[in-house]
Amino acid sequence: MNTSVKMILVLTIISTLSGGLLSYWDAYTSEKIDAYRQQEIQQAVKEVLPDTDEEKVLEAGGFTFYVGYKDSDITGVAFVAEGGGFQDIISLMVGVTPDFSEFTGLTVLSQKETPGLGTKIAYDPSREGSETWFIDQFQGKKTGNLTYVKNQKASGDSEIEAITGATISSNAVITILNKHVPTAKSAFESINQ
Amino acid sequence: MELLVIFISAAIVNNFVLSQFLGICPFVGVSKRVDSAVSMGMAVTFVMTITAVVTWLIYHLLLVPYNLEILQYVSFILVIASLVQLVEMFIRKVSKPLYDALGIFLPLITTNCAILGLALIAVLREYSFMESLIYGIGAGAGFTLALVIMAGIREELELADVPKHFQGAGITMIIAGSLALAFMGFAGLI
Amino acid sequence: MAKKVSLLEDFTKGIWKENPILIALLGLCPTLAVTISVENGLAMGLAASFVLICSSTLISLLRNLIPKQVRIASFIVIIATFVTIADRYLAAFYPEISKNLGPFIPLIIVNCMILGRQEAFASKNGVGRSILDALGMGLGFTLVLLILSAIRELLGSGTILGYQIMWDSFSPWMVMILPPGAFLTLGLMIGASNWINDRRAR
Repeated sequence: MNTSVKMILVLTIISTLSGGLLSYWDAYTSEKIDAYRQQEIQQAVKEVLPDTDEEKVLEAGGFTFYVGYKDSDITGVAFVAEGGGFQDIISLMVGVTPDFSEFTGLTVLSQKETPGLGTKIAYDPSREGSETWFIDQFQGKKTGNLTYVKNQKASGDSEIEAITGATISSNAVITILNKHVPTAKSAFESINQ
Repeated sequence: MELLVIFISAAIVNNFVLSQFLGICPFVGVSKRVDSAVSMGMAVTFVMTITAVVTWLIYHLLLVPYNLEILQYVSFILVIASLVQLVEMFIRKVSKPLYDALGIFLPLITTNCAILGLALIAVLREYSFMESLIYGIGAGAGFTLALVIMAGIREELELADVPKHFQGAGITMIIAGSLALAFMGFAGLI
Repeated sequence: MAKKVSLLEDFTKGIWKENPILIALLGLCPTLAVTISVENGLAMGLAASFVLICSSTLISLLRNLIPKQVRIASFIVIIATFVTIADRYLAAFYPEISKNLGPFIPLIIVNCMILGRQEAFASKNGVGRSILDALGMGLGFTLVLLILSAIRELLGSGTILGYQIMWDSFSPWMVMILPPGAFLTLGLMIGASNWINDRRAR
């Protein structure tokens, strides 16, 4: 057999087999992967909207809103907000009251901050019992004009205590919220009118 | 502005070699002399820029419309391998001096994980076409920068009395550690 | 008898004498990047070993059918196929680990250790010897990853596999889990392995 024919034949056979095997594997695994992603979002929504029985999904202005209901009253709205962190994008699930004036909760969906410093925005192993103290303090704060304080307890409705040694990561979270809550608010109001 | 941030992030703050650990093999292998480091850096930047563009086109115009994302890795690596071959043939035809300068480094680039890493990260971050292009150039610049700094230090090192067991790879890693420490100072620049 | 020794040698050479990381300096990128914790190091070691063993087996079986001119392309396609399988498996069943390792699982494709073993060994030897070679290399790779990640996790976080090991007042050496710590620890390990080899030779 001619060598170039053989070359093409062998490569084609290998690629076809590879493609076939992978499409079978794709069908097998993608269901599980999607289910996990769904579950992850669901869980985050539950965490940031503590006072709800069921959620409805709405899309507007590039946002996906998870609207929380309890006894057919709206109790809160959750949405994803993203922005630049210290090194890479920080992705947050934000929960706010129906009028977008107060936070009901906050969780970090993904972040690639400096291990041991910036990662404390999501999980701080040095504070036993309250490892999520940083994001927990957002609950009940006023939206729109958050600021941070260093090395002291936060006081007032819009103050957040920054993480020692990771002010930039702390500030990144605050900046993302200050920027995206107003845009989300106007997008949400535009569909509800 | 966004584009400038992407460039600086890829080149300096999240330097491909010193903070993302991509392209370590050539970083250790081809950093003995400054002139070969410059050539290698140029060759990599060149291939990176083209790769960023071509893999973006393949992913968004071929794989996503036909639901073939599972073939992402296989197709990307094939594209990179053939691109490197094409670039090699093209340079040989067009410019003999450039080929002599880059020639021996080109085949090595296929297995440089910085190239595949660039293509994968650009997809992961959902970069647009322009962003991918700038990201490719920035990553190449960052790779070249790290490689040239390292080569400069290693040339000086020939005169130094390095403990016997650390000569070569050992001392290169330790210097890279100090450089990584220095580059961490750029964090927060963006 | 001579044959038996050489079979054992096929397996053991990857663990120390021709260790892919410490001696051959291959596959350094994942070695440095993922060894922040023992869990990550172990997952990366196992994933790379899986790909190496599968690819070596298949390529050794096909070694007489693949024309010389397209062997590298064929190797890469086969390796990329197994990497995709491993990547999807982790994403489906161990999503947390898959998240932590990020793009470093797909980057196993360009791990020079794996392509290197195909070119240097599997494409020239029978299937039994190729599997032994792949097992040894995979084990050597995984062991170095484990040691490196154990050092970094212990000093950088004070834990091993998430369990507190160091005393309470121990303040973690932050630098160990940052990029510089990876380079420094691996540099010291390479130096130490050279020293041990030197002592043995004497």
